[in-house]
Amino acid sequence: MARTGRISSRTDVVLFSVCVLLSLIAMTLSQRLREPVASALRRTLVAPLLKLQEGSERWRAAYLSSEREELKRDTLALAAARVPTLENENDRLRKLLGLGSALKWGFIPAEALQGRGRAEDFTVTLSAGSNAGVRERSLVVAPEGIVGLVQTVDPTLSLAILFAHPDFRVSAMSADGSAFGIVQPHVTSSGSSRDQAFLRSERYLLEMRGVPFRATLKPGAVVYSSGLGGIYPKGIPIGVVMGEIKTTEAWARTYILRPAVNPAELSAVMILTPQRAAAGLTNVWAGVGAVDSATRSIVLAGDSLARQAAAAEAAARRAALDSAARLLRDSLGRDTTGAGAVTSPTPVTRPAPTPDSAAAARARVRRDSIARERARADSIARQIPGAPAATPATPRPGVPGGPR
Amino acid sequence: MNWSATVRTILLCAILILLHYTLRPLLAWRASADFLIIALLLASVRVRPGVAAMFGFVLGLASDSVALGAFGAGALAMTLIGFSWSRLKAVFFADHVLLNGFFLFLGKWAYEILMNLVEHRLHGAELLMQILVWSSLSAAVTAVAGVIALMLLRPVLETRAA
Repeated sequence: MARTGRISSRTDVVLFSVCVLLSLIAMTLSQRLREPVASALRRTLVAPLLKLQEGSERWRAAYLSSEREELKRDTLALAAARVPTLENENDRLRKLLGLGSALKWGFIPAEALQGRGRAEDFTVTLSAGSNAGVRERSLVVAPEGIVGLVQTVDPTLSLAILFAHPDFRVSAMSADGSAFGIVQPHVTSSGSSRDQAFLRSERYLLEMRGVPFRATLKPGAVVYSSGLGGIYPKGIPIGVVMGEIKTTEAWARTYILRPAVNPAELSAVMILTPQRAAAGLTNVWAGVGAVDSATRSIVLAGDSLARQAAAAEAAARRAALDSAARLLRDSLGRDTTGAGAVTSPTPVTRPAPTPDSAAAARARVRRDSIARERARADSIARQIPGAPAATPATPRPGVPGGPR
Repeated sequence: MNWSATVRTILLCAILILLHYTLRPLLAWRASADFLIIALLLASVRVRPGVAAMFGFVLGLASDSVALGAFGAGALAMTLIGFSWSRLKAVFFADHVLLNGFFLFLGKWAYEILMNLVEHRLHGAELLMQILVWSSLSAAVTAVAGVIALMLLRPVLETRAA
């Protein structure tokens, strides 16, 4: 038994030694000798395993590819969801650009960082401060109209009250100057909870008080600052008349105004320097609209030019195809005539010609058609950058089918 | 080892080898489990040291055939590991799952160290980083995979008495 164990042990050691020796030989083999051995292994023993590995890697590649596709789809969906936001932002910035070009000088562009707390409903933080030239009581405007007044200025930030702030007052007038009044936030004095809720729902509304009885304002009329108060210069849109409300004041009318600026959409504003405000803002807001519409028309013109170019290209391509088809028909007709065939492949209705005159007429038609085709091609080449070919083509001298 | 145990061992090794060529490329981890080592270690405790050395040699040569950087290095490493493990089973009868996991870790780590040293691909700090970080991580993953495989296949396995 012990002898058997010793023999087995010796066999194990011999097998181990042989394996180690073979491994060492394999390691020391030159590249030329190593490759056939490895290749033989790859083609026989390892081949099915490599097939399996290949399949697994293909699965993984497919999975990764589908994941990438999914990510791409998500990205596209996200981009598509962002389009309306970007369009709105683009619109706002375009308007701001219009306001800037209308103001020309004396303004400081700033971002309006709106507070999210309830206490900050009536104030707005602006991203420009005294370093940028903002001063206290500087006027804050937006492309739509009046926003508020700067109250506190830091080196890099400033705080402004909105038109909805209880302290906000501005002297106002109608567009034709027939009605004057004082615009202030619309605040009711009712104390019931229901009225408070109603008040909260219309907290951004304004009211124009002290309008003389003889002056009436129709709903939809735009109200501007009159410049009489000394702070707000004349001509800034404040809001639009929604209707008249009854008050206890018996000597004047009071109107409810919808503000020109929606505080919820306030993102970029202009802070006017005192010098600019003192210089007056008459016709600035009329110019804003004009610049905005001009920008829009430029964009639309660009679009229509692109459409026109595409239409011209399509028309030219269609014309070239038509004439090529006509040319083919003509040449087919000539060939069949030359071979003695009487029937024409094209259903052209003409007076029946004599055999000689028919051949001559076909030859002439073919020459004319070639000339027309060349002239059309030249005309298209000339006109592709602009409008579609509309002018009659003139055959050039010196080409077949030209003037004889 | 009777015929039934032999067949079961062969079957187990075949499954693990298949996993090496299917699951490993599918996961494609930086430090992935080496099912060939698991198969070698699980077979080694059930066969004689000479057979274990031969099995390791064949497995190593097969894996070397697709990695020509150090042809024969894998065969040498697996031969050494198979023979040593089969010899050591008389000293440490590893029927405990965690002990098996520990030896799987050691086996895979030793294999990685041998391969890295023989291949001469990395040097200095890079070699040290490979051995201490990635090789040990791969050994740990292999040990975990081996322990899971052992637990799943426990009803099929039958450890030969020492």
